[in-house]
Amino acid sequence: MKKLNFEVTRNLLFIFELISLSLIFLFNWPNIDKNTIYISLGLIGLVYVSNILLFKLSKGDHYIFLIVCMLMSIGVIMIYRIDQALGLRQLKWLYIGIISFFITYVLFKSYNRWSNHFNLYLAASYILFFGTLIFGFSTHGSIRWISIGGISFQPSELIKIIFIFILACIYSDNSFMSKPKITKYKELVTMMLVYSFIAILFIQRNLGASVVFFAIYLGIQYIYAEDNKYAILNIFLFAVGGTIGYFLFDHVKIRFLTWLNPWEYIDTIGYQITQSLFAIAEGGFFGTGVGRGHPNFIPLAYNDFIFSAIVEEMGIFTGIAIVMLYMILVYRGFKIALKQKDVFYRIISIGISLLLGIQTFIIIGGVIKLIPLTGLTLPFVSYGGTSILTSFIALGILQGASEKEIYGGSKNE
Amino acid sequence: MVMKMFNILSILAKYVFVFIIYTFIFLIIRMIYLDINSLSKLENYNGAYLKLLNRLENLPYKLNDSYSIGQEISLGRSNNNDIVLKDPYISKRHFRIVKDENEYFIEDLNSSNGTYVNGERIFDVKKLAYGDIIKVGNIEFMFINLE
Repeated sequence: MKKLNFEVTRNLLFIFELISLSLIFLFNWPNIDKNTIYISLGLIGLVYVSNILLFKLSKGDHYIFLIVCMLMSIGVIMIYRIDQALGLRQLKWLYIGIISFFITYVLFKSYNRWSNHFNLYLAASYILFFGTLIFGFSTHGSIRWISIGGISFQPSELIKIIFIFILACIYSDNSFMSKPKITKYKELVTMMLVYSFIAILFIQRNLGASVVFFAIYLGIQYIYAEDNKYAILNIFLFAVGGTIGYFLFDHVKIRFLTWLNPWEYIDTIGYQITQSLFAIAEGGFFGTGVGRGHPNFIPLAYNDFIFSAIVEEMGIFTGIAIVMLYMILVYRGFKIALKQKDVFYRIISIGISLLLGIQTFIIIGGVIKLIPLTGLTLPFVSYGGTSILTSFIALGILQGASEKEIYGGSKNE
Repeated sequence: MVMKMFNILSILAKYVFVFIIYTFIFLIIRMIYLDINSLSKLENYNGAYLKLLNRLENLPYKLNDSYSIGQEISLGRSNNNDIVLKDPYISKRHFRIVKDENEYFIEDLNSSNGTYVNGERIFDVKKLAYGDIIKVGNIEFMFINLE
């Protein structure tokens, strides 16, 4: 029964990819590279085979990868429609992403001592942070890129995952903080550590990432800290910090002003968000149809504003569907965490679910003007090599954690 | 001409897309729902139990995800066993697990094809430890003790 259902679902995904791909090729006719056709057909094949393979291979969760495949298909179609060159690059990144998903999954599953390397994680994230500050270059007003051998790379994306590992080590008592002398100040030391991360992100002007880091920390702290007064203190500090930031830093102030009333600044700082709102309104229930709208009017439509572009051409129904897909994804993540017996893997699963959920909420909320806009990518959908890669790595870890209960769960019994 | 055809196809496709995506979501939610339904009530159980390692959907007969052991549990082909496996490879009474002073012992009941614990065939009684894998025919269980 379940197997049959899986086949139907997998075939639906396959049909969706084929139809949308032929449509997009027709749209760009006759300026299509033969290579692009091969690469995209190859990707469809890879997605199909990976789903079958994962179903046979994995005893854990079978839904998360399927959901993500749907999300990334919608995303890459839209990116390709907006800009062919970027679409082609995104296709290649998706190959790398899926392969790294499987590598991460196998690695995470077969190695059992992830919780023992707290110092390594801490050192790695500081090295990456300071590396970005020293060697980084700036785009769109924030210093968050470093370039290695011609490939640009965004370390803060990778640090998100390491950060979850750090928190998991701390709250499962696998760090230096569980030594009797320090354990009393565990919460304070953790707070200092997290705030040092957030401060560095703030210096890099990477507002979106700092909010994501803070939210993951707050979520895990709320669940695992013995005393909730620190969580309340953190919320208070966040409110104070936000207010101070508003008056001290222009880039924080701009976000708030364009959120409260973008129409006043429609020619300058409010241009992007108003274009996004126009695009969403233009779409209506079913959208204008792929290739018949004007997503190019929104600056960065392929990246942060991909959601508006999708809603314009595929309708608010597809937009709602995307939100629903993320909701199921996060629900599965929490389900994996609940089934997990080992505290370390539990926190890892919660952290990754929070990461995906919060990032989605912040960026979709931002482009529909529900909350102030901060620059983040929509996981699996937006254009961006590092974002795709780290999202798939996170998914691979989640997939691995969904199996850990069977084979490695005896540790804490 | 191509543009005109494209416009018509694009308008048609947008309805098809919405239909496919929602069917996709519906199927996934339905599978999750079926999954939750078939989960046994053992979710919060704190004693010893047998966890089935095979895929349920690959088996030709109905089995549960896991079986709590309690004082004693027996497995075999006939209907008076606690776990009934309608498999010609399985003997009528195949094995049983008995609790004795907080230890669990597995006993092969002279089955014709044998009971294997961690790959070794057992002939009389053997003490079970957490994580032991019990194999009869093609079916594998893991012994889990949460006491």
